[in-house]
Amino acid sequence: MNPLADVVTPSPLVLDGLVVGAILFALGVVGILARRNLIVMFLCAELMLQGISVSLVSWSRHHGDWGGHVLVIFVLTVAACEAAVALVFVLQAFARTGRLDSAAWQSLRESNLSRTIDHELPAIDTVPLKFPKLSPAGVEPAADEDAALEREHV
Amino acid sequence: MIASILPSISPGTLLAGGVTATAASLWLLLPGGRSGAADRTARRLGWLIGIVALASFIATGHRLGNVGEEAVFLTVALVAVISGAATVVSRSPVYAAIWFAMALAGVSGVLLVLGGQFLGVATIVVYAGAILVMFLFVLMLAQPAGLAPYDRVSNEPLLAAVAGAVLLGILSLSIGRLTAEPPACCLMGGTKAALLADSPAAEPAAAAGIDMLADNHVARLGGELFGRHLLAVEVAGVLLLVALIGSIAIVSRGAADAESAAARRAMP
Amino acid sequence: MNDLSPSTLLVLVPLLPLVGAILTVALGRVLGPRAHLPAIAGIAAAFVVAVMLLTGMAREVGVGTTGHDHAAKPVEMVTTLWEWATVGDAAATGDAGSAARSFSIPVALRLDPLTATLLVIITGVGLLVAIYSIGYMHDDPGYPRFFALVSVFVFSMSMLVMASNFLLVYVFWEAVGACSYLLIGFWFTKPEAAKAAKKAFLVNRIGDFGLAVATFLLWMTYGTLNFHDTTLADGTLVPGILGATRLADASAYVGGVVGTAICLLFLLAACGKSAQLPLHVWLPDAMEGPTPASSLIHAATMVTAGIYLVARTAPLFEACPGALTLVSIVGATTALVAALIGTVQNDLKRVLAYSTISQLGYMFASLGTGTLLGFTAAIFHLVTHAFFKALLFMGAGSVMHSMGGVIDMRRFGGLRRIMPITATTFLIGSLALAGVAPFAGFFSKDEILASLHSRGWPDAHGEHHEAAPAGGHAATATPFHLAFHVASVTPDAAQLAGGTRGSALDALNAPATWRLLFWMSLVTAALTAFYTFRAVFMTFTGPTRVPEEAGHHAHESPPSMTIPLVILAALAAVSGWWLFSTHSLASFLASTPSFTAPSVASTATPPAFHWDLAIQGTLAAAIGIVVAALGHLGRRSDGPQMERFLGPLETLFANRFFFDQIYSALIVKPLELIATLAALVDRHVIDGLVDAIARVPAGLGAVVRHLQSGLVQRYALAGVIGTLLIVLALVARAMG
Repeated sequence: MNPLADVVTPSPLVLDGLVVGAILFALGVVGILARRNLIVMFLCAELMLQGISVSLVSWSRHHGDWGGHVLVIFVLTVAACEAAVALVFVLQAFARTGRLDSAAWQSLRESNLSRTIDHELPAIDTVPLKFPKLSPAGVEPAADEDAALEREHV
Repeated sequence: MIASILPSISPGTLLAGGVTATAASLWLLLPGGRSGAADRTARRLGWLIGIVALASFIATGHRLGNVGEEAVFLTVALVAVISGAATVVSRSPVYAAIWFAMALAGVSGVLLVLGGQFLGVATIVVYAGAILVMFLFVLMLAQPAGLAPYDRVSNEPLLAAVAGAVLLGILSLSIGRLTAEPPACCLMGGTKAALLADSPAAEPAAAAGIDMLADNHVARLGGELFGRHLLAVEVAGVLLLVALIGSIAIVSRGAADAESAAARRAMP
Repeated sequence: MNDLSPSTLLVLVPLLPLVGAILTVALGRVLGPRAHLPAIAGIAAAFVVAVMLLTGMAREVGVGTTGHDHAAKPVEMVTTLWEWATVGDAAATGDAGSAARSFSIPVALRLDPLTATLLVIITGVGLLVAIYSIGYMHDDPGYPRFFALVSVFVFSMSMLVMASNFLLVYVFWEAVGACSYLLIGFWFTKPEAAKAAKKAFLVNRIGDFGLAVATFLLWMTYGTLNFHDTTLADGTLVPGILGATRLADASAYVGGVVGTAICLLFLLAACGKSAQLPLHVWLPDAMEGPTPASSLIHAATMVTAGIYLVARTAPLFEACPGALTLVSIVGATTALVAALIGTVQNDLKRVLAYSTISQLGYMFASLGTGTLLGFTAAIFHLVTHAFFKALLFMGAGSVMHSMGGVIDMRRFGGLRRIMPITATTFLIGSLALAGVAPFAGFFSKDEILASLHSRGWPDAHGEHHEAAPAGGHAATATPFHLAFHVASVTPDAAQLAGGTRGSALDALNAPATWRLLFWMSLVTAALTAFYTFRAVFMTFTGPTRVPEEAGHHAHESPPSMTIPLVILAALAAVSGWWLFSTHSLASFLASTPSFTAPSVASTATPPAFHWDLAIQGTLAAAIGIVVAALGHLGRRSDGPQMERFLGPLETLFANRFFFDQIYSALIVKPLELIATLAALVDRHVIDGLVDAIARVPAGLGAVVRHLQSGLVQRYALAGVIGTLLIVLALVARAMG
């Protein structure tokens, strides 16, 4: 490793890459801190990891060796393991509380504080989704009224 | 090109403006508190200010060599960043997952531009192909119909937005100062020019670029991986195995716990 | 006996009762009903030693062997036991002016005629009281404690009269006050006794404060606190306040404002200890204590400490004639007021208590005349009073013991048939108290009246102003020779010292004042006879009535109680006549160094018996006895009392001139108010402040506690913000 490599100014491509990585990382931080849905929180964590990956590859290009790439490969590996285990935990959490809310888990607070609850919830502001209707092809299967009612829209 | 339009604004001011705009736009965009028309207005305003912030970051950015390279990089970078922002602020978690897929595409493009050919593809394969699908399965199992109440509010949106914006500002500042004269402690008692003149090696970046952009990129990467980092590779394999076993163990115990709890409830 | 040097004997007098007290405390439980033995042995041995010292001193003074035509020379013997404290070394500083500034307190004892007299009284009466207590305190559970306290008291009082240093006097002044407190509150489980003990101690404290400030002023004025002359290591002579050097110099005593202040403070101290107006309120309440304690302390010895103090500091008082006059005024007024109050008391011990206050007032009146006759008369009356008042108190105790604790005279009568010895001795004591010839009180009271008369009508006693002839001869060889240092005093030409250095009080020193005081004293004599015989008639004459508390007690007291009564009665009968006719006491006391100062010695008069005053005194006593007999003798002893003639005055006397009520309103209630305020401040302000300080961390915690909300995202947010702040700080520092 040439120690003088640190002295050299990074090229503009590398610098731009670093900026993109920084932006992605910052967005991920905001998401993790702000969003309440556990799944969205994990998505933002993955976004942070993406930002890290971009930065690492940029530095790898600057230094001219494979170190950054190798590290990103391991980041990838660990992210996969983390996602697997974490999603199992999310499902366990859902089984216990019935929702994917990070604020459902507050019992480790000071004993004389009360639960933080949402006082004002904004109304659902979505236009009802219109799903396309496909014209039926072939023999229409026997429709099960109960099943149709029970299916939940995602 | 944008820098030519705004020649009079100093980089410091641009950076500060960009940070402020980022904070404002994120705060407006994050879900919370508002309903109906106010919510819609806030979102639109948020995106607008977000564009302005992006513009300022682009203005402080650096110009690449040729227009083509610059256009490609800008495109994929914008896709990545805007999709990432959309991931963070989407009300519906499914939409957030879809936007995340877009962000992955953008990131993959950036990686390819930076010369990480294997990683660009691996990102798509592993993340979008495996991890994202897993997320969608969980959402299918756990998310109630419609927007859950906890999707419509955020946890301290203002503080989070400000924190994120400040973080971004610091990082940008640091990146910006990479072009400046390095501090004395790194020069080891000489000036940068003198050191460069004495150094026997040529521009390492050019050499590295050639190395990275070679045709047998994957083979070289593989050789590096299984050469110098063999132990880490093996450990990563073990880690994958452990994660696999662990997930199954937790799920099975959870099932057993639920069964015993149900059995206890059923007993008279 | 010859190998016992006088200084050893001097140390033995306080030491033996102290050892007795320690042994009583240590062995009290073991000895059980014989717990009195160490105490009585100690006091008896001390008495023997005191008598030896008295006879030795009398021989040295030459009592009875020489005529009365030579000036009395001061006789004293000083023994220094050890140096208690020394501050500052004048020799080291080398500054001659600071020789008087170095402060040293030797534990020194001084024997002179006044001390010897008082020592015999203290140990003698103490011994008789201790013997009496064997019978009186017989069944009391605190038997050993009583004797230990009596022994400690005898020790303290002996040291007080022997101390040769004002600081030592103060120490033992306080010590006798403490013994008094412990003895008044002997039955401390009784609330009245505890309150009375507290009251006595607190009122005494006011006097003690006076003594303390006087000690400070003495130190500042005279540069030393010793009575005797001391010599420093480098040979400088530090003249003691009552040492031979200063006594020889007529102008050595400071008058004016400082001198008067010192004397008034001494008077305050004496008022506190000897229960004079306005600090007399504790003595009647002190009757809650056991009667032997009252007899010893509140009749014969402790209350005489004030008399002793004024007599000892006679030269200082002589420099401030105004203060002297004030002493007499206080004394005579107290005597009159106490006598008036005593006329309507129904409690036998209270009558005797007020009688004590009254007689002490007489002594102060006599001291305040400032003449040698006045001083010696006061001491003479002190001696005789010790005898008959102790006798009367012990008689009252005998009555109380027989009547099962009842001492209200209205509830019993005619006890002379049941208790003949007590009745006879009580009668002898009453005759002495009333001043009937030839009993003791007659002579001493006559001398007091004479001294007052001499100031009121100075022309009739013209021989006052002659200077005593110059004299002084070498000490003859006696066993005490080596220990004495006798200075030959040459009194100067007659000058009533301090006449030129007066203060504002000197305006009181007019013959008119003295005449008024004389008439007051005469009226008081009549009243004394009245209330004394009223008590005698109500108790011992008339039909025999015994209250039911007496039970089987209603008989004469055991010999341990009656023998001291008889001894004291004999003394009360003959001592006055004997001491007066031989003039032994007067000439003996004249050799006391304090009384050989020119200011005192120049007022010496040849001893004479004043017939006119004797007749006046006897007449007053006779009037009092007759009026008492008219009201209370015989069949009328339980009948209507003389008081009904007093009308509204009776309320005034019965309420003790409302002194207690006035003090309560003026002093006690405001102090209680201040105490309540202080308690409120303590509880709410000071404790409140501390509590408020304690609440600060709790308050801070309550505020900070909200950070621990249980929401993990907020924790993460806090962490991110903290990290950003640190990084911002670093960036700012790096950017300059």
